[in-house]
Amino acid sequence: MSDAAELNPYADRIGRAFPGGTYDLASWRCWLVADTLVDDPYDETPHPVLAWMAGVAGMGMTWDDLFVWFDATANDGPMFGEHRTTLHRPLEPGASYDVSGRIVSVDRKVGRRAGAFDIVGYELDLHHDGEHVARCYNSIVFPRRSR
Amino acid sequence: MTLAQVQVGAEIPALELTVDPERMKVMAALLADPNPIHFDRRALAALGMDERPVNQGPLNMGYLQTMLARWAGGRDRVVDFRVRFQGNVLAGDLVRARGVVTALQDTERGRVATCDITLEVVGGSVALSGTADVLIGEAA
Repeated sequence: MSDAAELNPYADRIGRAFPGGTYDLASWRCWLVADTLVDDPYDETPHPVLAWMAGVAGMGMTWDDLFVWFDATANDGPMFGEHRTTLHRPLEPGASYDVSGRIVSVDRKVGRRAGAFDIVGYELDLHHDGEHVARCYNSIVFPRRSR
Repeated sequence: MTLAQVQVGAEIPALELTVDPERMKVMAALLADPNPIHFDRRALAALGMDERPVNQGPLNMGYLQTMLARWAGGRDRVVDFRVRFQGNVLAGDLVRARGVVTALQDTERGRVATCDITLEVVGGSVALSGTADVLIGEAA
């Protein structure tokens, strides 16, 4: 293994695209999401957290599938790191969104107490009628205690 | 104070709620999230964890977004939202979402307030912190 690959063994995953898919902001989803948030389920404007939910549900693969890309499983204890949602236009009730996404960063870090861990960043985009509606960025922290 | 009178340093009305494990079960189904730490107390005990289920990240984010939306006059007012996950929220926790305005800017979309935001467990630690941009006025 080259020095670069040893320092960041998953760097070649950067740019890898998710299969993608679609997500419908059905009224029942909007209602239930608002209710789980103890917000008003009768407000017809979709809750902004649905941007992230649409992205994850429509990315075309499961969490376990994503973990496998980084030789990890749920048992390794991957954690959310950071999140960003940018809404270029409001979500629309009843709209169907095309979802696409990709890995955008992989960084190997070593902490004194935590040991080695990888921080994987990915983006998910929502499009509707050809318009870019939202982008969600998330990072996942993969502990690499045994490495 | 009306939104037109908002100045840097203004505090957003806090949102407090007690995390309900029944709502976490619904969210687990909506997310198709099979992780039992969100709904199965027996599985939590087997893992050696606190037997109170762990709240989902999207719910914690959503509480902050709800606070921002109520203050700004609608769910369509949140235009940018950035947070770092710092700790867990457990079923039964009382959480408080807070925010303070740190900058104001007139943009093509309207007047935007940038806010520092925090979700904390009352009597505990910070679960999420970050910043958000919220529309508080129409474009001129």
